[in-house]
Amino acid sequence: MSPGLRSTPLEARHVAEGATLGEFAGWRMPIRFAGVVAEHRAVRDDVGVFDVSHLGVVEVTGPDALGVIAESFTNDPDGVVDGASQYTLCCDPDGGVVDDLLVYRVDAGRWLAIPNAANTAAVLGVLTASAADRRAEVRDRSFDTALLAVQGPRSLEVLDDVLEGLTGRDHVASAIGFLHLTELEVAGAPAVVARTGYTGEPGAELILAPDVAGEVWDAVRGAGAAACGLGARDTLRMEVGFPLHGHELTRQVTPYEGGVGWAVKLDRPAFRGRDALVEAKERGPRRVIRGLLPVGRRPVREGMRVTADGDEVGVVTSGTVSPTLNRPIALARLAPRIEPGATVQVDVRGRSEDAEVVRPPFLRRDPRGTPPAEEDSRDRR
Amino acid sequence: MADDDIPQQLRYTARHEWVRDDGEVITIGITSFAQDELGDVVYVDLPPTGTQVRADEPFGEVESTKSVSDLYAPVTGEIVERNEDLDDRPELVNADPYGEGWMVRIRPADRTELDALLDADGYRAELGG
Repeated sequence: MSPGLRSTPLEARHVAEGATLGEFAGWRMPIRFAGVVAEHRAVRDDVGVFDVSHLGVVEVTGPDALGVIAESFTNDPDGVVDGASQYTLCCDPDGGVVDDLLVYRVDAGRWLAIPNAANTAAVLGVLTASAADRRAEVRDRSFDTALLAVQGPRSLEVLDDVLEGLTGRDHVASAIGFLHLTELEVAGAPAVVARTGYTGEPGAELILAPDVAGEVWDAVRGAGAAACGLGARDTLRMEVGFPLHGHELTRQVTPYEGGVGWAVKLDRPAFRGRDALVEAKERGPRRVIRGLLPVGRRPVREGMRVTADGDEVGVVTSGTVSPTLNRPIALARLAPRIEPGATVQVDVRGRSEDAEVVRPPFLRRDPRGTPPAEEDSRDRR
Repeated sequence: MADDDIPQQLRYTARHEWVRDDGEVITIGITSFAQDELGDVVYVDLPPTGTQVRADEPFGEVESTKSVSDLYAPVTGEIVERNEDLDDRPELVNADPYGEGWMVRIRPADRTELDALLDADGYRAELGG
């Protein structure tokens, strides 16, 4: 691993547990503990905990905080109430996706943005520039916070127990509405608990002071949560069709080409990338994100070429073997004319493998923990 | 790593394959170290019986949830059997790398090539331990 990598506050614990650590966006992160498949199943069937302290935490405060968020990102933050979150995008002036991220409105004068680790600096730059001529302050808190994601059908029950033990308050996690958050003190330090996640399962993400994160991690583990690494985080998000920046989303594609055009609200005043996005929407996407179900058992991987009757029609953006479905699955950026139901060919190291084009997700899960409502399936993360 | 993860009676390659000399044929798999490094094995690509393989050249692939690695032939010869069980249960490579997780049987063209393989101590030294 390269020198100069950042460590999360929990690294010593991960090493003691025998985790495989790997380099990820400038951080040394746990990639797997017991094994990707076992961790994946724990989250689908029971409960697992991830150290996601590499994610950025950027705080925007002040009377014009809303204006900074509104100008920097593509979604409309106007309707976001205190204690709610919103999935949004940071785009370049040319419409390319700089990052996809969640913003939390703690209150009118205080927002938190949670960018991907690799894009934290870029998002911070955009917010800082926007705040320069406003009554707002932008502060990078990425290195003085720890983030834990507790996910799975039993996650809220486990978190309620753990937080009751640490705060004396009961039903803390289960009382929070889906995609909402609450602030509280954990072991004497301020913390945020948000009913969000990246697995398709019910769960919460916790923003904690670094020196209390270990105590929370131990308590959640002690309550039966499996320690999970970034490997399982990736297979879990692929099954439910969530995009990952650097794969489905990049600076070279517009939101419409990355399957997240719904997070762009053009009917509002100028924001970064708006003019280009108006054009991009009129023009229509040159590529769209689709799912691929390879016919055979051979996995297809990121970067592999996709053809249809000999014509190049796109590229695989993510691929794995789904632990739940026990078959290969992949996401691909394809020409829009390739409709779900079509059969395409993937070039797997010189061998042509047939795959069926489908509309993601591969697996329908309900992160609310209640019976699914079809029309809400795009409420993600 | 525990010593019993490198069985004394087997031979090894520096590419983390093990070789068992069964007399007329040899049996090949990947070592416990290799399966642990790979993580969960989700697909094993093995050639059909009758395939001619050459020493130190790839003859198959083993894939984990995240990555793919080539399998290299330890000697020149002919594939006389492939482990069909791995088609449906690739996880046997993790569960039992020296047993049910075996991969192919090869009839060596020149048995003296076996002499060049590492013994258990040599392989342990290769792993730095």
